[in-house]
Amino acid sequence: MIVLYLVIPLALVIAGSALAAFSWVVRSGQLDDVETPPRRILFDDEPR
Amino acid sequence: MSAVARQLTPACAHCGLPIPDARTDEFCCAGCEIVYATIAEHGLEQFYALRAGEPDAVIPARSSERAYTELDDAAFQHIHVNVGPGGAASTALYLEDLRCTACVWLAESAPRCVPGVIDVRIDFGRARADVTWDPQVTTLSAIARYLDRVGHPVHPYRGFDREQQRRREDRVLLFKLGVAGATLGNIMLLAIAMYAGVFGGMSSTDTRWFRWVSMFVAVPGIGYAATPFFTTALGALRARRLHLDLPLSIGILAGLGWGSANVVRGAGEIYFDSLAMLTFLLLVSRWVVLRYQRRAATAAEMLLALTPSRVHRVLDGRVVDSSIEAVFVGDLLEVRIGEVIPVDGEIVEGTSAIDLGLLTGESNPVDVHAGDAVHAGTANVAAPIRVRTTAVGEATRIGALARTIEATTARKAAIERLVDRVAGRFVLVVTSVAVLTFIAWTALATSAVGMEHAMALLVVTCPCALALATPLAVTVALGRAARRGVLVKGTDALERLATPGTMFVDKTGTLTAGQLAVVSWRGDLDAAPLAAAVESRSEHPIARALTTFAPSTRTASDVREELGHGIAGRVDGRLVAIGAPPWIRRLNRIDGGAQLPAPIETWIADLASQGQTPVVVAVDGVAVAVAGLADPLREEAPVALARLATAGWRVSILSGDDARVVRRIGAALGLPPAACIGNVTPEGKVAAVEAARKHGPVVMVGDGVNDAAAMAAATAGFAVSGAAEIAVEASDIYSRSSSIQAVADTVDGAVATLRTIKRNLRFSLAYNVTAGLLAVTGLIHPLIAAAVMPLSSLTVLASSLRSKAFRGDT
Repeated sequence: MIVLYLVIPLALVIAGSALAAFSWVVRSGQLDDVETPPRRILFDDEPR
Repeated sequence: MSAVARQLTPACAHCGLPIPDARTDEFCCAGCEIVYATIAEHGLEQFYALRAGEPDAVIPARSSERAYTELDDAAFQHIHVNVGPGGAASTALYLEDLRCTACVWLAESAPRCVPGVIDVRIDFGRARADVTWDPQVTTLSAIARYLDRVGHPVHPYRGFDREQQRRREDRVLLFKLGVAGATLGNIMLLAIAMYAGVFGGMSSTDTRWFRWVSMFVAVPGIGYAATPFFTTALGALRARRLHLDLPLSIGILAGLGWGSANVVRGAGEIYFDSLAMLTFLLLVSRWVVLRYQRRAATAAEMLLALTPSRVHRVLDGRVVDSSIEAVFVGDLLEVRIGEVIPVDGEIVEGTSAIDLGLLTGESNPVDVHAGDAVHAGTANVAAPIRVRTTAVGEATRIGALARTIEATTARKAAIERLVDRVAGRFVLVVTSVAVLTFIAWTALATSAVGMEHAMALLVVTCPCALALATPLAVTVALGRAARRGVLVKGTDALERLATPGTMFVDKTGTLTAGQLAVVSWRGDLDAAPLAAAVESRSEHPIARALTTFAPSTRTASDVREELGHGIAGRVDGRLVAIGAPPWIRRLNRIDGGAQLPAPIETWIADLASQGQTPVVVAVDGVAVAVAGLADPLREEAPVALARLATAGWRVSILSGDDARVVRRIGAALGLPPAACIGNVTPEGKVAAVEAARKHGPVVMVGDGVNDAAAMAAATAGFAVSGAAEIAVEASDIYSRSSSIQAVADTVDGAVATLRTIKRNLRFSLAYNVTAGLLAVTGLIHPLIAAAVMPLSSLTVLASSLRSKAFRGDT
């Protein structure tokens, strides 16, 4: 079970980087409005 | 059914509703016509394809066709518009009637339709548009006109700083929620491995490694995520008040501390998994509650933004629209029919009638002439006038009232919330039981065992479900209430409404329709259409009542109106005069007649004694009929009052209106004369409310500025539709419907909510007692704690969702 001493810290590092990414997402305001963007998907592209 | 109806009657080309007979084109109203034309002009027909998926979103368009020139005012721009580095200007606007994806698309299409617009970004939940434009090419008013013409009248977005502040708080809480979630996930993985190890066998080195890693994750993770609870608990301690966050913080800190101590000494239980679960669930509930509160706050601000912020200024004989910020003492303003007077001032031109309802509660309009003083907050109902400003903003009479309201609100003591009361006893019981457990087990075994069981008790009784009990029940109720058009400010307002006491109701608009109507007619009924023909040329409220009473297709000529007295004109060659009794008596004398005929004079006295306003109709110089005008009762009022009485409320009418009128309405509703108080000043209302508060809770229902101070003084203030800005501000609850029925419904909902809260509290206390007993007797295992804790929270959640509060149709 020696591998646990490598895998668990590795898992924690990954979890930590996910948290850092989440922090960036929150700070950049991407979660401030969660209602309008799903509606915007429905818009067609402008004809060129 | 609607499909058949649509085939039979022609449908509006924009909204699909039936077209009224009076209109000859393809639209149901002017609003739809404008929006349809604007959409076609810019080639935005895709709107209809986008909207097809959302049938609820289809409503008649409202387009005010205002010019919005006040948005280009230098004073307005200075306050509300930011200019970016590239010269681009930006601001935020509230949009009305944002209902669906197609609305968002239409509004965001502005850059393609108005040259010079750089970007329009909609925030659907907040009904807000962030607009960026090039001031060299276009103006804000042009953008506002576009948004208005596609069916979304705009209002300036005030309170930008508050919004920034809220956004920061939201982000911090959301991040903490994320941290709690990540901690929970990782701790759970480790905990499952350890629980498996208990049954399957695990080397002691591996177990120790797992425990150390758990501690390494849990202490910083939970310690950071749970800071909101620690802060509130500290604040409550400093204020020497009890708060539910106090036992929560004790549980979390005791668990973290004792768990870490056990990890270091390598023996005993750790409770990190239960604590992580608890913190996460609590943060989720906080976040849900916060989101609801933001939504309610936005809706209330939107409401405030809807009150008039623009005025018509007269500059060198020309009338220009301007924002209220740009008006100073001495400015000349024009106030049109139906508008609210924005300043205190003196009439310099025009004769009209003023509805003082908002300020004093008097329901009959008062006639005013040049030289008379008018007050901000009253409505001009009969004819355009020009007013010289004598006071603006805080200096107006309404501003003075606002200060009283602020003072009264500050004095209003916070009611002790049910859950905090429970929490207070909870802290006492749990800590004393923990001390007793420690002493008993130390005597029976060792002090280490005593410590172990006492700590286990503190952790498993950490009142997670208790903390969820109130917010969940209240949030579910408030969410449902909001869908029915009732906005509740603050979560304790429902608790305030749930205990019956005295309810004061302002007459106008809640018990009555709030509009003059002909309620009785004595004499020749054939005179009614003649009177209506003449009155159709006037805008006076009495004229409107008469034309609704007897619609007439005849036209009148030679119409001559004497404001404050009456109106006369020729219909089919006959001279028709309608007016107040003294005026008609005077006319008769001029025409050779003496006193009015006996039955007429009797009828006048009779109607006046019933609290109605008598209006005499004379044809060719002979008085033939008397109309009695009054504000008629709402149909649903008697039933709603009976419901309130059954619920234990003592209902009284408290009105600024004439005492006779109030008594008539009270009698019609079956209220005793003592409960019908008329002629009350705003200050008198406050006094009445404060006197009644000595005997129990008081709810004040009203809509006017004259009620606002009383609302602030009452246990709970209830503002109804059409309420003045300041009344909305002073109230705890606002209903979009103005009927007393909405009040009765809300009271029922509040009672049901309190019942749910109590049920939730019983559930969670039962759980805590059971878990506590297990801990005291030393039978608890961390696995049981980890399983029961979320289970109790889920029970509370299910119970809240099952609540009957604000259920049912409508």
